[in-house]
Amino acid sequence: MKLSLTRTSLSSVLAPLLCNSHPSRRPISSLSVSHRPTSLSPETTPLFLRPPTSSASLSDLLKFRNWAETLSSSTGASFSALDNGPDTHLLLRELTWLLEDALENPKTLAYCIPSAVSNDLLVSLRADLEELYTLWKQRIDERRPFQYIVGCEHWRDLVLGVREGVLIPRPETEHVVDLVSDAIKGNDELGDGLWADLGTGSGALAIGIARILRDRGMVIATDLSPVAVEVASFNVQRYNLQDKVAIRQGSWFGPLKEAEGDLVGLVSNPPYIPTEHIDGLQAEVKHEPRLALDGGTDGIGDLLYLCNGAVSMLKPGGFFAFETNGEKQCKFLVDYMETKLKGSFNDVNIVSDFAGIQRFVTGFRSR
Amino acid sequence: MINLTLQIAALQPQVSIDLIKIMDQRLLAIEKRSAFLQGILDQPEAPPEEYSRANKELRKLSSTITLINKLRIKQEEIGSLKSLMAECQEDNDMQDMATEELGQAMEEEKRLQTVLLMSLMPRDDADERGCILEVRAGTGGEEASLFAMDVFKMYERYSLKKGWKFEVVELAESDLKGFKEASAAITGAGVYGKLKFESGIHRVQRVPVTEKSGRVHTSAVSVAILPQADEVDVQLRNEDLRIDTYRSGGSGGQHANTTNSAVRITHIPTGMTVAIQDERSQHMVVILTLATSLFALLLFIVFVLKNKAKALKVLCARLYEVERSRVHMNRSKLRSDQIGSGDRSERIRTYNFPQGRVTDHRVGITYHSINDVMQGETLDAFVDALLLQQEMDAIASFSSTI
Repeated sequence: MKLSLTRTSLSSVLAPLLCNSHPSRRPISSLSVSHRPTSLSPETTPLFLRPPTSSASLSDLLKFRNWAETLSSSTGASFSALDNGPDTHLLLRELTWLLEDALENPKTLAYCIPSAVSNDLLVSLRADLEELYTLWKQRIDERRPFQYIVGCEHWRDLVLGVREGVLIPRPETEHVVDLVSDAIKGNDELGDGLWADLGTGSGALAIGIARILRDRGMVIATDLSPVAVEVASFNVQRYNLQDKVAIRQGSWFGPLKEAEGDLVGLVSNPPYIPTEHIDGLQAEVKHEPRLALDGGTDGIGDLLYLCNGAVSMLKPGGFFAFETNGEKQCKFLVDYMETKLKGSFNDVNIVSDFAGIQRFVTGFRSR
Repeated sequence: MINLTLQIAALQPQVSIDLIKIMDQRLLAIEKRSAFLQGILDQPEAPPEEYSRANKELRKLSSTITLINKLRIKQEEIGSLKSLMAECQEDNDMQDMATEELGQAMEEEKRLQTVLLMSLMPRDDADERGCILEVRAGTGGEEASLFAMDVFKMYERYSLKKGWKFEVVELAESDLKGFKEASAAITGAGVYGKLKFESGIHRVQRVPVTEKSGRVHTSAVSVAILPQADEVDVQLRNEDLRIDTYRSGGSGGQHANTTNSAVRITHIPTGMTVAIQDERSQHMVVILTLATSLFALLLFIVFVLKNKAKALKVLCARLYEVERSRVHMNRSKLRSDQIGSGDRSERIRTYNFPQGRVTDHRVGITYHSINDVMQGETLDAFVDALLLQQEMDAIASFSSTI
C-alpha cells in the first residue's frame, strides 16, 4: 500500500492547520523535528540490515545450530512454568528466525544435507559465529528478549528496529492502528489532520498511523527517553516518513503545547503496569525499560493524565485511543470520563483484544 | 478398452427435431435482443451508462450472433439449393451437383446447430477454476487411512500429468503413516471442470496390509472437490469473523514478551476455522478485521505471508462452496439427478483390487486396469464419460425449461 507523499517539509504542511485557527501562535518554523541523529549508534542497526561481512564454514554453522537447539531443548517447560516464558517449541522457532536474519542467504540451511557437508563450504553471515554463540547464550541464560537479540520486531506489516532502552511493540497494540482506521472511515477529515502518539517508543504507532493517513495527515510522536527518540527516528527514516512524522523528546504533551485544541487524534500505549507487579514480571520483560512499563500505584496514573490532557489537546470531534492493563483499568477510565470529565467526551468505548481481554478505551472529544 | 469406447459411442447426443424447434425460438430471441442493443449504440444521444451496459451485453452475445449468422446463411443456401433442384428436375448434371452441395450444406447446418446448442447450455462458471481437494479416511480404520493416501497420491500423479500445480495444504497422518485427512490446492486451467466429479465416497475392496488372514475388507474414503474462489467471490465481513489468540492465560499486553503469533480465525456463520501459525507478526489477524473485500486482503497476504495465503485459499473455497450450494439448492429441482451435484455422501466409485478393476457407479463404466487408475493414468476415461453424461443432462433440462 504505497502512499504518495509530497516532498513538502513539515512546517509548510502544518502552517494552514495552525495559522488559521490560532493566528497568535508561535511561527511554524519551531515545529521541526528536534532530533535527527547524524550518526546512528551501531547497536540500533537490526541484524538483518547489517552487511554480510563475516563468514563461517557450513559445518561450523551447523555445529552452532546443534548446540543452540540442544541448549533450547534443555529448558523444556521450565521458563513457561516459572513466569509464562517461552517453551522449547517457541525457542527453537526463534532460533530459526535468528539464523534467517543472520544469514545472507537464509535458504542455505534449508538445502543442505548435514552428513554430506564439506568443511570448505563458506557461508556468508551478518554477524560472526562467536557473536551468534554469545547472543544465544544471552537468550537462554539471561532471558534477554529475542527482539533485542536480532535487533528488530515484526509488527503489523512493518519490521521495526528495537534495542535495549526501547519497549518492544506488543501484538495487542497492532489493533490501535485498526481503531484509528475505523475512526477515519467514519470521518474523512481525521485522515487529514494532526495526530499525536505519546510515549512512542520505537515509533510503532506513529509509523502505523502515518501510513494510513491521507495526504495532509501528520503525526507528532513524543517520548521522554533519548534512546526512544533515536530508535523511533531510525524507524521513521527507514519507512521514508520523515516528512509525515515528527519525533520530539519530552514528557507527554510538553513538546506539542502549540497544537493545543488542534489535534484530530491522540493515541498512546503508556506504562500501565502497577508498580507492585513489576518484580513478578516475565524475565524477558525485565530487560525492557521500566520507564515504559511502570504506571505507578494501580498503574493508572499516566492514563488519567492523558485523559485530562485530551480534553484540552483534542479539537472537537477528535479521536483518542489508549491501551490499558485490562478490564479494571478500562472500566475505571470510562467511569472517570463520565463523571469527573462529564461532557468532554462521547462515544466512549471499551474494545477487547484477540485474547478476549478488554484492552482499549476509545472515544471522541465532544463537539 | 473396446468395451469402453462402444459405450461412449452409444452415448452421443442426438439433436432431435423438437430440440431444434426449441432452440430456434431461443435464437430468434437472441437476434431480437442484439438488434435492440445495437439500436441503443447507434443513438447519438444515448446516456453513457446505458451505452456501456448495452455494449457489454452485446459483446457477450457477439460470438453467438456470429454463429447464428453463419447458420442463417447456411439455411438460405439450403433453401436456394432445394428450389434450384425443384426447378431443374430434367437436368441430371445440375441435379447431381445440387444434391451433393445440398448434402454438404445440411451437414454443416447440423454441425452449426450442435455448436449453438452447446453454447446455449448453462455453464458452470466454476469449471475454469482451480480446486481444493480434500480427502478424508472414512470407515475402515487404519486401512481407510492407507487408501486415503493412495487416492491422494493418485490425484497428485494425475495433476502432474496434466501439467497442473499440486500444492499440499494440510496432512494429518495416521499411525501407519496413512492419511487421516489430506488437502491440496490444485491450480491450472479447467481443473475444477475435470475433477468435480470426484466428489463423493470412494469405496475400496482389498486385503489390507494389516490383515493376517488374507481376507478382503471394504473401507471407504471421502473426496471433496471445491472450486477455488476468486478474491471477489467471497465477502469476508468483519462481523462474521472471530479471532482468537492461543495465549495461555496471563495478562498479556505490556506484561508479556512473546514471539507466539499463532492465531485462529473462525467464520461465525459457518463455524469454519483456519489456524495460522509460524509467522513473526500477528498482523494477519489485523488485516482480516480491516478488510471488507477479500481482494485488498489477498494483496497484502501475497505480499507478506505465503503460509496464510494457503490457509485463506482453503477458507475461501469452503465459503464459496457454502454459497454455491445455497444457490444450487434453489435451482436444484430439475437437476437433482445430475452428475456432479456434489452430494458428498454419494458412493460414486468402487476400487476392487483382487479383481483388478474400478467401477464408476454413475455412468456404469468399469475400467479393467486398477494400477493404471491409481497411477493417475486413466482417470480421463471416467472424466470424459462423466462430462458427456453431464452434457446430456444439460440438454434434457434445457428442453424442459423452455
